[in-house]
Amino acid sequence: MTDNEQLDQRMSLEAALDVLARRRDQQVVVGTMTANGPWRERSPHELNLACIGFMGGASALGLGVALSQPERDVWVIDGDGSLMMQLGSLGTIAGAAPANFVHIVIHNGVYETSGAQPVPSEANVDFAAMAAGAGYRQTAIFGDAEEFDSALDELLAADGPTLIELRTRPGGNFFTARPTPVGSTPALARMWPPVAEALSRS
Amino acid sequence: MPAQSIPADQFLAAIRDAGVQDIVLVPDTHQRTLLDLLMADPEIRTVHCSTEDEAVAISAGLIIGGRRPLMQIQHAGLYASVNNLRGVALDGHFPIVLLIGLLGRDPELAPRDDGGSMVRLCEPLLDTLGIPSYLLDSADDLHYVSTAFDEAAARQGPVALLVGAPTA
Repeated sequence: MTDNEQLDQRMSLEAALDVLARRRDQQVVVGTMTANGPWRERSPHELNLACIGFMGGASALGLGVALSQPERDVWVIDGDGSLMMQLGSLGTIAGAAPANFVHIVIHNGVYETSGAQPVPSEANVDFAAMAAGAGYRQTAIFGDAEEFDSALDELLAADGPTLIELRTRPGGNFFTARPTPVGSTPALARMWPPVAEALSRS
Repeated sequence: MPAQSIPADQFLAAIRDAGVQDIVLVPDTHQRTLLDLLMADPEIRTVHCSTEDEAVAISAGLIIGGRRPLMQIQHAGLYASVNNLRGVALDGHFPIVLLIGLLGRDPELAPRDDGGSMVRLCEPLLDTLGIPSYLLDSADDLHYVSTAFDEAAARQGPVALLVGAPTA
């Protein structure tokens, strides 16, 4: 099988998110980059947050929420390029050791939003191994949506921090930035107060 | 008057009085004695970060979840955290208070006149970012700790406290 044929065998981002969305309940979910839009479509929820404008920061933002809300699960839907920007966060998360933290890494091998340039060392990088080395309690890798679907309940039932690496094929979601209207309120400032309000009610 | 050491126990009391629940930190030599007390305090949780960029986002997440963090870093970490200060603290309107140690500062000089760029550029950088700052040069300045939290809440944005001399 050629490299391209192997890549085509990987699940799509959408199929991976479908598996997660079927388990969505009252978790806080922090999405990033190309996963944000498809995730919101599949799982519209008052507890969705998005890492917009600070690439690499999703896992740290999620860690803060997880430490503040130990009785509530927090899922971070991270990207491979994003995580490479803040690899030290694996050590920070493992050190803090939140049992309620699930780190899902979409590993498609490219910076999809900027035009599918390769992520460094794409052919070799193993995020699950790095997370295990950092001290995550459990890690797993899936390239097939059915296998991911079959294993996910058991992974979610166990204590974290958990890292699930999902090997997906690139989807061609090129991102075109639009100018920000002068005086507008940034997306993050609009997004988090309702989440904080919802968390304070529960 | 030259900057004077701030007793760590008085500093800790000011942090407690401000209602701080979490210290989100990358270690700072300048604040070492304070950090020792914070790590031993049973009422305050310490979150040890790999980078200062992360510390900003973790602090924001803690605020979303209803906690009151204080971010403790060194001046070099201020420079390292600029993207998340912009993209998280400023754009997200998060009331994050930063405690920034001016390691190596000449206590006879104002920080803006310091011979070292690490110290000299701190206040101008904060000014550029639009982040208010207060200089802690002695125990008499510790009232700025609660001032910083009040101001961060009022403006819904970050405020910096610059630790001008090593804690004692």
